Amino acid sequence: MNKFLAVVRREYVQRVRSRMFVVATVLGPLMLVLFTIVPAMIAGIKTGGPVRIAVVDESGRLYERVRQSILSDSREEDEEDESAGEKAVSGAVNQNTSDRLRKTGAATAQSYEVGQFATEGRTPAEVKKLLNERVKWDELDAYLILPGGILENGEAEFYARNVGDLFTKRQIQDRLTRAVREQRMIERNIQPGDMREINRPLKLKSSKVGESGAEEDTGQGFYMVFILGFIIYLTILMYGQVILGAVIEEKETRIAEVLFSSIRSFPLMLGKLIGVSLVALTQFAIWGLAFAAFALYGVAMLAAQGMPINLPRIPPTLFIYFPLFFLLGYFIYSTIYALVGSMVTTAQEGGQLAMPVIMLLVFGIYLAFPVIRSPNSTFAFWISMVPFFSPITMLVRIVTQTPPFWQIALSLVVGFATVVLLLWLAARIYRVGMLMYGKKASLPEAWRWIRQS
Amino acid sequence: MINLSGHSSVLTHDTTTKLAQPGTRESFGSRQEVSPSDVSDTQPTLLLDRVTKSYDSFTAVNELSLTVRAGRIFGLLGPNGAGKTTTIRMIVGITMPDSGRIELFGQKVNPRLQDRIGYLPEERGLYKKMKVGDQLRFFAELKNVHGRAAEESLDRWLLKVKLTDWKNKKASELSKGMQQKIQFIAAVMHDPDLLILDEPFSGLDPVNVDLLKDLVLELKAAGKTIIFSTHQMEIAEKICDDICLINRSRKILDGSIRAVKSGFGRNAVALRVAGGDDVLEDAKLVAKLERHSDDVEALLAPGADPQELLRRLVASGASVAKFELVEASLHDIFVEKVGGDA
Repeated sequence: MNKFLAVVRREYVQRVRSRMFVVATVLGPLMLVLFTIVPAMIAGIKTGGPVRIAVVDESGRLYERVRQSILSDSREEDEEDESAGEKAVSGAVNQNTSDRLRKTGAATAQSYEVGQFATEGRTPAEVKKLLNERVKWDELDAYLILPGGILENGEAEFYARNVGDLFTKRQIQDRLTRAVREQRMIERNIQPGDMREINRPLKLKSSKVGESGAEEDTGQGFYMVFILGFIIYLTILMYGQVILGAVIEEKETRIAEVLFSSIRSFPLMLGKLIGVSLVALTQFAIWGLAFAAFALYGVAMLAAQGMPINLPRIPPTLFIYFPLFFLLGYFIYSTIYALVGSMVTTAQEGGQLAMPVIMLLVFGIYLAFPVIRSPNSTFAFWISMVPFFSPITMLVRIVTQTPPFWQIALSLVVGFATVVLLLWLAARIYRVGMLMYGKKASLPEAWRWIRQS
Repeated sequence: MINLSGHSSVLTHDTTTKLAQPGTRESFGSRQEVSPSDVSDTQPTLLLDRVTKSYDSFTAVNELSLTVRAGRIFGLLGPNGAGKTTTIRMIVGITMPDSGRIELFGQKVNPRLQDRIGYLPEERGLYKKMKVGDQLRFFAELKNVHGRAAEESLDRWLLKVKLTDWKNKKASELSKGMQQKIQFIAAVMHDPDLLILDEPFSGLDPVNVDLLKDLVLELKAAGKTIIFSTHQMEIAEKICDDICLINRSRKILDGSIRAVKSGFGRNAVALRVAGGDDVLEDAKLVAKLERHSDDVEALLAPGADPQELLRRLVASGASVAKFELVEASLHDIFVEKVGGDA
């Protein structure tokens, strides 16, 4: 036990003390902010002035409405969209392209200048020729032709120097549509305000019938599962390589033989795993506290301004299951890294071998979808018993339709038993592999090493 | 030397454990009769009895029996690949023998005994980014030596190898020779009763070889048992009390260095002589003649008496500047016994 603790302490202290750890802990959140905000800012960089558009109104009654619509703020468009929450889910799950275009277009906040072009009796061909000239001489960026039958057949023409600018095209189309729609309403004696009222979508309030009969909002729990999947993914991405490195370290520095003359391989492996995990937990705790402090500060500020605060309602059992399944997920994937580390001689080799591990994790996140649809199916049951998927799939089941306790317990037991088994295998392969320096184990060899001691 | 880890002496420890575990010897039943070399009056530190270890189809150690007596330096000699390292790994408990028995301090080998062994493997290294003091403290903890005891011991040893100033330097800043001395400290700082050194001098300059050799002899004087594995016969010859020569996984010979040498019936004379060539070429006296720069080495014919050679040389009027009976060196024995294969 003392020796095990010595290994844990060494792994922990060495890593936490290292400059890398300090830098990563401080810069990690900064980088995250940088990677999410900066691309959006770059995409939103305004180049050049407003887009100058001439409108040829052959119908004779649309110009003013079209002008207002094009110049109007883009926010009004979103009113027509479904409720924002639903949108977020569909966006997160499967964002379709036109959706994304519209959002990015809105983000760029393109401004426009609109002017009417009087035909003064010229033929359409002459008008086009004249306007083309003006576009060519850079007096205009684009022009719109609204034919006389636009309200009936709903067709208009858009000529621009740069039709590749999909955002502008999309925005013009949306705003033109709105103007035409309103004009049609007015001509049918409907007030646009009334129409908005008529079109307003209803809100479906979803509640979960729990075992206690109490109603709970499942939405937030559902997000938590995805957050968990993401956190496990992130942790493994960040710390899988560290564990791999820790396991290989003694092989590369050739200390393994000295260690094995003092400590058995299983406590050594376990000590390494726990030591590195504590480093990860330390880092997460620092980030978590920093985040919580900022969040509390923000909430307090909003509350002070009289904003209604809606704290997410999370079922209390999740506070127990969430950490449990997080630890399970983390340990399962990190022991796979330990296992890989025990078979290879250099970190580079290990990195390649560990790629499929990440695949397995992503696979598990996707398996959550069929489970969400039918959380109590046989499929859902079995998939939530498979240790590599259970951290996500079982948690999905818990938040959607809580399975009997024995199933949750069983999946935890199976999971942690797998962790111990994998670690035991890793320890065995490691010890035998160490005796043959510089040799990478093939799978059959690894199997032979497991059987011989 | 101060006994810092608080172990009781070898003898008392053995008797208590034997009383506590009366069944261990019983379980080997008919194997009770031990190898013939086990005749020393005191309890041997280490006993191997027909130990065999194979990897797949390759037999690394075959029916090896040997006895290491307490307080002596035991040389485990043999060419590369003879099975020395495998033997050592079984003694320190890294691998288990397929068959046979290994007894350490009178007990069957077990993980608890690892704390009483110090091991400097041939494959050795240090944590590159760790400070010297930190890693020595870690190695001490792995042998269950903590706190002040560890600190005192590591300071004392750093002083002995003249690396005190390097205690707070990272291992990567040390030269290879310095690293090797740190590795040596890692093997001895917990005051082990049995010290196993696998090729401890390889890669060291002569000054450090002497330094380390003196430390080993100092440990021996303090009553420690030392197993010393090498294929460098010159060093083995200087410091070993007993040797065991193994080749191709089998024992070729063993015993005290004295016994081995005298048992090796080689009869040679080193000469510096002017004249008397006809005497030296007498096939009845000299079997083989090797001429070096000024010396001549004459391997005597079987049954020939060196005194007879000297008398004949003097009688022939040759002037004898040097006449020395040469004992076979370990090197010679090694080459003779292993030569054909190695």
